[in-house]
Amino acid sequence: MNEFQALLPPHIGYVLLAVFGIAWVALGVWWGRLATSYEGYTVAGRNVGLAMGAATAVATWITSNTTMLAPQFALELGVWGMLAYATASFGLFAFAPMATRIRRLMPNGFTAVEFMRRRYGAWGGIPFLIISLFYALTWLISMAMAGGKLLEVLSSIPYEQGMTVVLTVCVLYTLFGGMYAVIGTDFIQSVIIMIGLIVVAVTVLLHVDMGQIHGSLSQQRPMLLSILFPAALMALFNNMLFGFGEIFHSNVWWSRAFAMRENVGGKAYLLGGLLWLPIPILAGFLGLAAPALGIGISQPDTVGPVVAAHLLGFGGAILVFIIVFCSLASSIDSLLAATADLLAHDVALPTVRRLGWEPSDMGKRWLAGGAVVLLGLVAWIVALPNISDLATVLFFAGPLVGSCIWPILGGLYFRRPGGLAAGLAMLLGSGLGLLAYFQIGWYVGSLVGAAVSGLVFGSIVWLFPQRYDFARLRQPPPRAGQRATQAPAADVGTGAGQLPVNPRQEGE
Amino acid sequence: MEFPEWFLRWLVFGALGLSSCGAITLLWLLLRDSKAKKLW
Repeated sequence: MNEFQALLPPHIGYVLLAVFGIAWVALGVWWGRLATSYEGYTVAGRNVGLAMGAATAVATWITSNTTMLAPQFALELGVWGMLAYATASFGLFAFAPMATRIRRLMPNGFTAVEFMRRRYGAWGGIPFLIISLFYALTWLISMAMAGGKLLEVLSSIPYEQGMTVVLTVCVLYTLFGGMYAVIGTDFIQSVIIMIGLIVVAVTVLLHVDMGQIHGSLSQQRPMLLSILFPAALMALFNNMLFGFGEIFHSNVWWSRAFAMRENVGGKAYLLGGLLWLPIPILAGFLGLAAPALGIGISQPDTVGPVVAAHLLGFGGAILVFIIVFCSLASSIDSLLAATADLLAHDVALPTVRRLGWEPSDMGKRWLAGGAVVLLGLVAWIVALPNISDLATVLFFAGPLVGSCIWPILGGLYFRRPGGLAAGLAMLLGSGLGLLAYFQIGWYVGSLVGAAVSGLVFGSIVWLFPQRYDFARLRQPPPRAGQRATQAPAADVGTGAGQLPVNPRQEGE
Repeated sequence: MEFPEWFLRWLVFGALGLSSCGAITLLWLLLRDSKAKKLW
C-alpha cells in the first residue's frame, strides 16, 4: 500500500464506483434501445460516424496499462521507454487503411475470424480463432485482475470487491446496449482520460521546471536520458510489433471497422492514433518527474498515481481513480463485446446450424448477449483467486499475435496467399516465437514470431501461389450446408463457398 | 550521449498540445455529427 490509502478512503472509492457504475449501466440501457437487431447489437448498425469512431479507437487502446505502466516504463527505461510505449499508436495508424479495405471487402462482415475463415478456409480460420480467443481471454482476465488490484491500491477496496464491481458494471452495460453502449461510453471515457491526464501533467509542470527534471535525471539516473539504451531500444521495436499484431488480429478493432460508416474507418483510426500517441508520453512524464519532485517510489507500477496524489492531494487521488476506472471500463467493455461476437458468430452459430437450428435475428442477439455473460463469468472465476502469474500469461500472446501480422496483411491485399501459407505461418511463427520468449526473453518474442511467420508465409506463397477472388468476401456468408460445390483447383485450403467471380481484380 | 533538455521539453509540450487539441477536436466532431444526425 502507499500514500493513497490515507488520501482516498474506501468509502470514497465505493461512492465513485457507485456513481460511475450506475451512470455507465444507465447509458448502456439508454443506448440499448437502438440495438433492435443482431446487426445493431454487434456492429452498431454499421453506421458509426467519425466522432464516435475516433473516440472508441482511442478509449479502447487506453488500457489501465497505458495509464499505469507507461510511467513505470519511463521510470525504468527512460525517455526511450516513454517513446516505446507511444509506438503502440503506430498500430492504429497502420490499421487505418486496413479498416477502409475491410469495410469495402466485407460490407456484411462481423468478425476477424469470419474473414480468415472465408479467405483461407479451415487452415487459416482454426489457428486464428484459437489465437484470437486466447489473446482476448487473457487480456480480459488481466484487465479484470488489474481492476481489482488498482482499486485496492488506490482506495483500499478489497481486491475481490473491486474486481467484481468493475466486471459486473461492464458486463451489464455491454449486455444491455451491445456495441452502441460500448462505443458511446468509450467517447465519454476517452474525453475524461485525456482531460484528466492534461490536468495532472500541467500540474507537474507548474511545480517543477523541465530544466530541473532534466538536471535531476542527469545526476541521479543518467541511463534514463541515454540515447543508446539497448534494452529500451529492443523494447521499442518489440512493443511496436506487439502493437501491430494486437491491432491487426484482434476482433476488437475489426468489429469497429465493420461498425463504422463506409469511408469513416480509415479517418477514425488515423485520428484515433494521433489522439492516443501523446497519452503514454504524458503518463510517462509523471515517471520521469518523480526524481525531481523528490518522490521516493517503492512500487514502480504505482509511480503515476503517487506523483498525481503528491501534487494534487485528495483531488488528484480522485482524478486518478476516475482515470483508472475509465481506462479499465473502456477496454473491458470492448473486449467483452468483440469476444462475445467471436463466440456467437464463429463458434455458437455454426454449431447450432450444424444441429439443424437456424436462429432468428432475435435468437442471434440472445446468443451474443449470452456470450457476454459467459465471458464475464469465466473472467470473474479465473480472476477471483488473484494468482499473480496469470497476468503474465498475456505476454505469451506477443509471439502468437506477431505471427498473425503477415497472414492478415497478405490475405487482405493480395490474391496469391492461400490457406496453407497462412496456417503454417501462424503455427510455426507462434511456436518459435514462444521458444524465443522462454529461451531469450520477452523482448524478442514478438520479433521472432513475426519474422518466422513472415519467412514461412512468403516462402509458401512464392512456391505455391493461389488466385483468390476477393468478390467472394462481398457476398453474405454461406450458411452451413452451403459448402463449396466447385472450389477452384488452385485455391487449395479455402473452404469458402464458390460464389460468382467479379471480373474486377483487387490487389497485386 | 543523452537526450538534450530541449528534446524533453518539446516532447512533453508537444504531447500536451496534441492532447488538448485532440480533446477539443473530439468534442467539435461530436457537435458536428450530432447536428448532422450522423453520430450513428
